[in-house]
Order: sequence, then C-alpha cells, then structure tokens
Amino acid sequence: MCSVDELPPGAMRLVDVGKFGVGVYNVAGSLHAIVNYCSHEGAPLCEGLLGGTNEFAPGEPGGLRRVKDGQIVRCPWHNWEFDITTGQNLADPKRRVRTYRVDVADGQVYLNA
Amino acid sequence: MIIDANVQPHFRYNAEIRKYLPAAHRLRSIPDVEQQWYQAPGGNYREDLYGEHYPGSDRDTVARHLFDDGGVDYAVLNPLTRGNIADYLLNSRICAAVNDWLLDRWLEPDTTNRFRGTIRVNPEDPKGAVAEIERLAAHPKLVQVGVPMQSREPYGKPVFEPIWEAAAAHGLPVAVHINGGNGVDYAPTFAGHAHTYPGYASFMPLNYFVHLATLIVEGMFGRHPHLKFVFTDGGYDILTPLMWRLDTFWLSMRDQTPWVDRYPSDYLPAHVRFCSSAFDGPTDPGQMQRWMDFSGKTDLLMYGSGYPHWSTCAPGEAAAGLDSAQRDKVLWRNANELYGLTEPIEAGPINERSV
Amino acid sequence: MTTIERVNPQTEHDEIVVAIVDTDVHPMPVSTDVLKSYAPADWVDKIWPTGNAVTPLPHFYDTPDSYKTMSMRVDAHPPGGGFAGTDPDYAAKQLLVDAGVSIATLEPMCDAQLPQAEHVLKATYNDWLADVWLDRNNAHGRWRGSIGVSAQVPERAAREIQRWAGHPYMAQVLMTPQTRGIPFGSPHFDPLYAAAAANGLPVATHLMGQTPFELIPIYPVGNPAHWHDFFAAWPLLYVSHLMSLVFDGAFDRHPDLRVVFVEGGFTWAMPVMWRMDRIWEARRADLPHVRRRPSEYVREHVRFTTQPLEDADVKHFREYLEMMDLGDNLMFSTDYPHWSYDAPAYAINRFPAAQRERIMRGNATALYGLPPTVTALPGEGPAADVSFE
Repeated sequence: MCSVDELPPGAMRLVDVGKFGVGVYNVAGSLHAIVNYCSHEGAPLCEGLLGGTNEFAPGEPGGLRRVKDGQIVRCPWHNWEFDITTGQNLADPKRRVRTYRVDVADGQVYLNA
Repeated sequence: MIIDANVQPHFRYNAEIRKYLPAAHRLRSIPDVEQQWYQAPGGNYREDLYGEHYPGSDRDTVARHLFDDGGVDYAVLNPLTRGNIADYLLNSRICAAVNDWLLDRWLEPDTTNRFRGTIRVNPEDPKGAVAEIERLAAHPKLVQVGVPMQSREPYGKPVFEPIWEAAAAHGLPVAVHINGGNGVDYAPTFAGHAHTYPGYASFMPLNYFVHLATLIVEGMFGRHPHLKFVFTDGGYDILTPLMWRLDTFWLSMRDQTPWVDRYPSDYLPAHVRFCSSAFDGPTDPGQMQRWMDFSGKTDLLMYGSGYPHWSTCAPGEAAAGLDSAQRDKVLWRNANELYGLTEPIEAGPINERSV
Repeated sequence: MTTIERVNPQTEHDEIVVAIVDTDVHPMPVSTDVLKSYAPADWVDKIWPTGNAVTPLPHFYDTPDSYKTMSMRVDAHPPGGGFAGTDPDYAAKQLLVDAGVSIATLEPMCDAQLPQAEHVLKATYNDWLADVWLDRNNAHGRWRGSIGVSAQVPERAAREIQRWAGHPYMAQVLMTPQTRGIPFGSPHFDPLYAAAAANGLPVATHLMGQTPFELIPIYPVGNPAHWHDFFAAWPLLYVSHLMSLVFDGAFDRHPDLRVVFVEGGFTWAMPVMWRMDRIWEARRADLPHVRRRPSEYVREHVRFTTQPLEDADVKHFREYLEMMDLGDNLMFSTDYPHWSYDAPAYAINRFPAAQRERIMRGNATALYGLPPTVTALPGEGPAADVSFE
C-alpha cells in the first residue's frame, strides 16, 4: 500500500478497500490494521482521535494512570475505546472490531484484507 | 411463607421518644412524630387504623393485623426519624433513641419472634453512624441499617464509605426509606417542589436511582463486595430504562472511572434489592410475568406492605399476576436469603439504652 | 483528515419522498460577531460583556476528552474550516445526503442569566436562524427551525411566538427544561403555552447551556460527580416536568398543547405512565382538575425524540417498545453534530418493524405539518417510495 517511510510511528493511513476502508497504524514501530467501522453505530472509526487510556491506579492521585499511549483509537462519535493492536473494545472486549494482518517486505507495507 | 420487608412502627405520642434521649438532649426541640412536609390529604396512614392507638403504634395491634389477619410470618420494622434536621449530632441521638425504643417496645417483648428491626443511623454524621452500628450490630433481631432517602449528597460519595463498610462488615444490608420530616432538604423533584400531593408521592421514590448510580460509578460496590442496598420505596419499574442508559454510557465514559470494570447492571444481583410498592407494576396484569424478567427483577424484589401507610399493600396485591416461582421469591425467598430469617436466633445480650 | 470518496450516480430528479425526519439538530453561528450583528445595538455589551474568558468547557459535566472533542462528532468539522454545525452546506452534505435525512428540525442552544437579557438573546438567535438557515441556505426547503423563548418571561415569550407564527419554516417553540425550580405544569408558563397552542406550534424542550450557575440542576439527593451517572439520571428532570404537566392540570388548561421532550430518552415513559395512572386512581380526590387518566394525556399531548438510544439487547429493546406501545409518540432524532449522534441506519433497526415508519417520519410529519416530498440534493436517489421493513 505504501513504503515504510510513509507510515512512521504515530501515523495512520486509510486504505480504500472493502465496504468501509481499513486504517493502518504504526504503533511505536509495529504495524496494525483495523476496519474503519465502529461496531456500535457504524461511525468511521479511524477518523477518531488516537491516544491512550486510563487504568485504575489506587496509589496515584485521582486513582488514574495514563497507559497505552498511541495504541487506543476512540470512535469519533461516542468515543468508545478500541485497542488497535487487538481490535478489542476496552470496556467490553466482546464489542470488537475486525483486525487485519499487515506485512512489511522490501521496505513496502502490505495490507492483507 | 410470607415476609413483609417494610413496616413502619410509630410512636404513640411525641413525648414517648424523650424517655430514650440522653439528658443532655432531652430539652431540645425535635420533630413531631407526625412531622412531614408533604402530608397526604386526609392523613398519611390507612383510615381504618386511626382509632384507639396512633396508626402503627401498638405492638399487639400491628401483630394482629400483619401476622393473624394478613398471614405474614416475619415483618421487618423500619421506623422513621422525621428528617435530616440541621443539628446532625442531635439527629444521631434521635436515631439512637428510636433504636432503643424499637428494642424496648417492639423487639425485646416480642415473644412471637416474628418482628425484626433496623438500626437507624444518620449519614450526615458518619462517625456517629459507625458508632451506632457497632453498638447494635450484634443484636440478632436487628437485620439491617436504615438511612433516609433524603440527602444532600448521593450515597456513592466517599464521605459515606465508613458507614457502608461497617454495615457490610456486619452483614447488614442498608435500607433506604423516604424519611419525611423536619429536614434541611433539596426540593423533592428535579424540577422543583411538587404542587400536589400526588405529584410528590409519584416522583419521590424515583430519587433512589441517583443513590444507586453513584454507588456503582464511584466504585462503592466495587470496593465492598458484600455491601447491599435495599430501596424500600419501590421505583423499580424505571430501573430498566435508566440502567440501560447507565450501561450504554459506560462504554463512552469508562476512562474517567476505570474502577468500574463491568457493565453497571452487572452489580445489581449482588448489591441491590427493592421492596414492592403500590405504584409499581404494569397496569396490565398480563404483562407482569414478562416484566419481572427485565433487569432480573424476580431476584431483586421483596414484598413490603408499607403498613400503616395509606398505600399499604397486601401480599396478594404484590404477587398479582406472578407465576408461582416469582411469587415465592417476592413473598419470601428473596427476603429470607437477604435477612436469614429462618435461621435459628441465638439469645443475645440486652443492649444498653438511655433512660 | 482523509475521506473516502465514493462515486455517486448523478441523477437529476427534482423531488425525493420524505423518508427520515430528524427532530434534533444543532446549528451554530459561525462566530459570536455574526450573532451579535442580529442583536439590538444597546444590548450587545450587556449580553456579551467584553473581557469574559471564553471557556473551552461550557458544560459543568464534561464528555469524553472534551478538551479535544468539544462534545462534537470528531468528523463533523467542515473541511474548509469552522466549527461543527456552523456550515449549512456541510451539514446538508453529512446529514441530508450522506445520512439520508429528508427534513431536519434545528434547535439552537443558548441562555442568559437575567430574564430580559435572555429574552433578547433568544430573539437574536431566532433572527439569525431564520436568516442564515431558514432563508438564505434553505432553497431546498429541508431545514425547519425552532422559535427560542425564555422560560423566565412567559409573557415576552408569548410575544416572540406571535412574531414568528406563520413563518413557513419555524416548526415549533423551544424552551429550556432548566427552569430554576418551576415545573412545567405551573400556571407561570400559561401565556407561553397559550400562544404556542393557539398557533399550532408544539413546545419542545432541550437541555440548554450551563453557564449561569443556577441552571445546574440540583438533583434532589445531591449531584453525581461524573457525566456518566449525571446524564443517566437526566430523564428524571423530564419525568418531573411531565408529572407536573399532568398533575398540575396544564393539559386541561391547554387542550391543544403539544410538548416534545428532546434528547431525554423515552423508554422511561412506560413506567412513568403506569405510576401516574396508579396514583391517580388512588388519589383522584386530590386531583379534581385532572379530568383524564394520566397515560391518556401522554398519548395525546406528548412526543419524545429518540436519541440517545440505549444499546441494550435489540430483541429486548424491541419487545420493550412493543409493550410500551408509544409508536405514535416517538420521533427519530440524530442530535447532529454532537458526539452522541445516532445514525439513522442504526436506529431504524432498533425499532419494532410495525413502528418504524411512524418513528422515522410519520409522527414528525403529522406533528409539524411536513410535506410528503422535498427537493433532492445532488447525489440523492430517485423519488421512489421508501420501505421501512
């Protein structure tokens, strides 16, 4: 789909394949792909904000700790959190989105979709 | 068997409570035993109960009505304390006086062994509330802790945690009951005061949902696996649509309160019970059986008459339209599991009381 | 921001059949300066005093990551620049063409602390809405508007309603439910209701801003700390107002009044109708002015918009709606461009088949007197009728 240099860490490229498209992400050096369709109401998931999430940390002030930066996409509508590396919804893992395999060969990125 | 999980015993007259107050408080003004901002026109209690004694004030009369006439086997007494008065320390003394009166007038002399009672505490005085629970929790006939519906903070907030922790440690559910009186309260509806009695009476019980939602979202149920709340004024029909909202929004809001690690409605079976009310239930009895499946209400609901309130509900009314398994659960199984009523009672010490 | 371009067949058709009516959409002025241009000159400094900080968080309960999302759909900001909901053309593209909405009711949100200032602000918004959205950018005739009025001054509200009555695209009156402790059934609102009913205009209510602090609804047992539980309980505000409308006799005083509860859910209506009916039967002597069974008032006088839909098991949800039997009272809504937007394709599947047509278009069409067809926009299909099966 593109050269490795065109997909640096933190970047996302949207590929027009299938009914909704697929978003390919470089999460701290490793490549992952999820469908561009939220399992809730069908929003374009990959247009959502990319970031981290909070976990419960009783020892921290406010009881929260920031984790998984760059790994979580929030749906642009209802902000449901999805782990790009697994496709799972953080609250309810059963509400997952489809993931795809991404390969790199000869400096080129290949999406298997 | 039939267990009535919601009966309000009343004082015979105002001065009756003074005997149980400490000397330091005995000259204070306290709410009239009938005090209620939103009185029902014609009287709060069943018309036929106004007579020789104030409604609900004579133990033998109440026993005859519930046990002999009504076919009830056990009744849980939950007295009112007439409002969250401004002086929270005095309020705690009133709660203790009511508890001592309950033991003295109702539970200790009850040779039928059918009455059970409530440890009334004042959530605005967490230290005093914990002390009162510690004082009385060992009494075998006191089966729950009682708090008002009225509050200026919902019960999931951390200020109340020591109270719930103490209740849970002693295996005592916390029963919430509208406690109208001389309290410093917010308006009873979300849109201000009600201008009719029915406007008040139909809305007020629904306020339980804010207590419930905060108990979940603030993590109180999560931190205290054995904590149970009983919402004794009903309102359980609206549980389904509002829990659907709480569940749906959880997927959006999880990262603000990640200690909530499951769907909010997953907390209901282990932590929440309701008493039946005359104002809940489909108006079409044909919908009743199916309606009980929504939000798992079959396992949450316990018959509560509300005696001597004007809306007192007989067991047959509460069980109308239910199939036999649902009927058993509502009329006694759920309450028995919660309160352990058919377990043998060991003789316990008579508790200190003020004279 | 990347978008996926789809090639649509360019069909030249004049009209399409109205398929979906959206009863809750939020337009915004492009800038405060634009809005100010519609206000009386001597009020500008009073309503928008200089030196006020512009808070990025106008709500006292913040939605997910709202410093970044501003409580909007992240994908709803016009690519040419500007904030979500400020560009009528982009709104038409996303909502009318892409999402398939045929007609949308616009509901601007605003409030001010002092009664007279709030009245002037509402009138200013009405003038702006009518000019920008109902006139200049409404050649297709698919936007409808709301006559915003201040709940604090019902007499002035009545005059504002009169000012706009008869406008071809103003479809309803809009007031806040955050009424500073006065429930909807109070005679305080009678002039407003009378003017609305006399002109055949429903009165819609939708949560407004929360900047004047006394608009923060104080929940009777105290306030939750997070948007999560705060907004889960929010319908209880509408429940309070509905019980007041019924028990305080507003529907008896105003037999032609129609009230629309927007963005407050609707599944709560079933248990509330049961409760009201039961207590009315038990306490009729307390309510001599309430001549009918409460649930009958709800069926005749009240409508509910559907967003935000609960994500419960769809079979249970449809079964619940069948039990509730309010298929004549529900009206589909998206809340575009807000973050809690419901997509029409998702929503339609949630409703029992027999209620779909009424919810997606029929009830709103009847309530607002909408036409059966509207002008097609480029990219929209031919004028065949729509199936809701």
